Parts: sequence; C-alpha cells; structure tokens
Amino acid sequence: MTEALGSTATPESGRPEDEADELLDSKAKKKRGGKRGKKGPFARMGLFYRQIVAELRKVVWPTRSDLMSYTTVVIVFVAVMIGIVTLVDYGFTNLVKYVFG
Amino acid sequence: MLTAFARAFRTPDLRKKLLFTLGILVLFRLGATIPIPGVDYANVNQCIKEAGGNGGLFGMINMFSGGALLQLTIFALGIMPYITASIILQLLTVVIPRLEALKKEGQAGTTKITQYTRYLTLALAILQGTGLVATAQSGTLFRTCQVGNQIIPDTSIFRTAVMVITMTAGTVMIMWLGELITDRGIGNGMSILMFTSIAAGFPGSLWAIKQSGKILGGWGEFFGVIIVGLAIVCLVVFVEQAQRRVPVQYAKRMIGRRSYGGTSTYIPLKVNQAGVIPVIFASSLLYIPALIVQFSGNTTSGWAQWISTNLTKGDHPVYLALYFLLIVFFAFFYVAISFNPEEVADNMKKYGGFIPGIRAGRPTAEYLGYVLNRITWPGSLYLGLIALVPTVAIALFNGSQNFPFGGTSILIIVGVGLETVKQIESQLQQRNYEGFLR
Repeated sequence: MTEALGSTATPESGRPEDEADELLDSKAKKKRGGKRGKKGPFARMGLFYRQIVAELRKVVWPTRSDLMSYTTVVIVFVAVMIGIVTLVDYGFTNLVKYVFG
Repeated sequence: MLTAFARAFRTPDLRKKLLFTLGILVLFRLGATIPIPGVDYANVNQCIKEAGGNGGLFGMINMFSGGALLQLTIFALGIMPYITASIILQLLTVVIPRLEALKKEGQAGTTKITQYTRYLTLALAILQGTGLVATAQSGTLFRTCQVGNQIIPDTSIFRTAVMVITMTAGTVMIMWLGELITDRGIGNGMSILMFTSIAAGFPGSLWAIKQSGKILGGWGEFFGVIIVGLAIVCLVVFVEQAQRRVPVQYAKRMIGRRSYGGTSTYIPLKVNQAGVIPVIFASSLLYIPALIVQFSGNTTSGWAQWISTNLTKGDHPVYLALYFLLIVFFAFFYVAISFNPEEVADNMKKYGGFIPGIRAGRPTAEYLGYVLNRITWPGSLYLGLIALVPTVAIALFNGSQNFPFGGTSILIIVGVGLETVKQIESQLQQRNYEGFLR
C-alpha cells in the first residue's frame, strides 16, 4: 500500500484527480499519461468510479464478531429504551386520561 | 457482555449521568402527553382512534414528535423547529460572510451562532404553532373525523394566542432539555430526544401491523417485519463501523533526554462520515413545502395542489426521488462542514505527523480531500438507499406509509443508539472497566 501511495506524492501536480490517476495507473500497470483535463466526461466518470472502488478496497470493514457484538448491543439498548418509553407513556396516558376526563 | 450495562450503573458518576438523562426523557414524555389548554381532549382522542395513527400530511412530522403532534400536547411541535433552525443556520453560514467569520472565531462565535439558532427556533415555533392551531380549528387536522372541527371549541383570539404561546414555550423547553442532556447527560441531547420520540411510536405501529395483517392472524406480518428490521439494523451497523484508515506516521523527536513520538496511527474516515444528520435534515426539509401550504390556508391553487399530491406522501415517486437527492446532497454538505482537511493537515504538520508518501501541508490536505470525496459517494448512496428501500418495499406490499421500520426511523434509531452506546463505553473504559464492545 505504501508503494501505491508513494506515487501520489507529486508535489506540484495540483489536482487530486491527476495524482490518483497515477496511483491507479501504477497499480493497474496501464500506460501513463493522457493530457490532464482533456478526457471526455465518460472517461472521467469511469476513472472516478474506479477510484471509488479502489478506496473502498482499502476500507476496513468490521469483522463478523465485531458486527455481531455491536448489533446485539444496539438492539438491546434500543429495546430497553423502547421498553422504558412505552412504560412511561402508558403511565402518563392513563394519568392524563384520569385528570382530563 | 450485557453485564456491562449493570456495571455502567455501578459506576457512580456514570450512573448519575444515565439517571439524569432518563429523568429528562421522562419529563419529555410527560410534556408529550399533557394537552394544551383549550383542546377538547375527548374529541381529539376519538379522532386519533378513527385516523388509526395515520396522520396523512402530518405523518412524518407526527412520527418525529412521538405522536404528540396529533394529540395537540404542549410538546406537540417536538424538536423539529430546532432542527430546522439549525439546518437553516448551517446553510446560511456558507452563504453569509458575517456568519462564516463568526464560525471561524471559535468559542465566542459558536456561542453567538447558537444564540441565533435559538431565536430562529422561537420564530419557527410560533409559525408552526399558529399553523397547527389554525388547521386544528378548521378541522383539517383530521379530515375524516366526524368531530374534527370540534377539537377546539373556543376559537376566540385570546384562546388561540394562549395555545400558540403554550406550544412555543413547550418547544423552547424541549430545546433546553436537549441542551441539558448534552451538557450533563449522555450523548447528544437533540439526537437522544429524536430517538425517544421515534421509539415512542414503535410499539403502536408494530401492533397496528399485527392488527391489519392477514397471515396467521397478523403474527406472520408482525414477525416478518421484525426480522426485516433486524436485518436492516445489522446492515446499518456494518456500514457505520466501516472505516478507511489513512495511516499517519509521527516523527520521533528528542526533547531533552526523552524521546517523543515515533508512533504510527491512522485517521479514521468513516464510509458514512456524516452519520444520520443528512437523513434528519432531508426529511425535515421536505416537510417545509407541506408546512407552507398548510400555513397559507390555500389548498385549491395550482402549486398547493401539486405540493399536496407530490410532496406529502412518503411513497410518491417525486417525494422519494427528492428525498434521495437531498440525502446525498446533505451527506456531502455535512462532511464538508464537519471535517476540514486543511485543518487536519495543519494539525498533523504541527505535531510532526505525516501520511507516508505524501508531503505535509497542502498535498496532505488534498489527499485527505481526495479520499473523503471518493469514500463519501458510496456512503451517501447507502444512506439514500437505506432510507428509501423499506418505503418502496412497503409501497409494493400495500403497507402503511408510516411504517415504523421505515429506513429513516431505523437509520436514526440505530445511528443514535450506536453513538450513545459508544459514549457510555468510552466512559466505562476511562475507569478501567472493560465495556460491552469487546
């Protein structure tokens, strides 16, 4: 990953697209180049799409056990809160009914 | 794992915070059940029963207020005015130079902006309160109800003023409660109150599904919905936890005889860096056109007709498309205001950190912006899709549009739940306990 990043360190190249262009090209071993900014809109969109996929590959997704424990905790938390709120609501509704008619 | 909940209660200061938050929530729910003066309580209840919890034009907003809106209680407006006000101010910060200058000023400027937000909330609350009282008086709040126009027996100006003032005061009180939670309780007050409101609607809507269902006396639908809901919860947690870790290396340096730094860490960029904010923003923004129609009292002219056919139903294609686009827009917008690559790059430079292979300073900021931009696209699309998919599925299966497990409510519930649990967790870990999330 560091090598891939290394190619992005072109100091004055300015626009990130160009840096990433090189990043991707160096990865895919494609021919470099193309004058910057002279590609068609579809080519640029395609490039952008490939860059998105490249970044998504570097994303650290939660492991199965992480996912399970987070999900359980959230569900328990939400269930407890819903329980409390329902209980409180039930009490208040009856109270208000008693007071107002 | 669950013993950690008990442990959280055994830690004195954490217990204090939890109980404080719970106490505020109880107060919040109490306000959401007390009717405002001048309302015929029996008639309102009868109308709600007839409407079956389906508020039509007010469905979404009623869900966000925890059912308080249709009952015309003192907290009827919920936290929506505050949220709308803060969206407007955040949008204005980009547009108006003076506000931008205030934001850059730091603490004092932020206080000033908060103050403006409160004033705007007050104005919005008066506006919405007047609109709500007017619709209730004219009987359009419950169109199908027989006694719909007898909800408010006395329509004198004095009565109306009292009702509007009560609702406005209620909204301001909610604002204060939210800030109290943020200051002294657990989690972000506004999100917690929103969470509570939505949670309050869950059991009723679930039960309504069971009642209207046909498979196995409704239990088929009941458990089907719960299983789908759990699957969506799992998916939301999965994406919320996904991070793009940008490696950061800190230079080792000697100060005197001790060496500092030399560690390598990372900047976590979440796939969904914006959290649930875009969903809240988008749904409250979409409510505004309906609010304008309702407030203008004009339901026959062309534009009013168009809005009420296209923008008030949660399953209308125009509504869905607009909702999706707004969510994507706000995802980018919120990431742009909450994460400033230049600032992060600057800080890294100050403390001798750098991303391997990237120069410090401007190139680093550009690289962070580059990654953030690429990663936010799938994140925002995910938010939009999750918010829509259940709605579409339910529209296909002829369900009610204000389904409790609609994407919006699930996103908010899980997002806020995860955030809050993590905050409790970090407080537990400060005291050397192992938390729930191992």
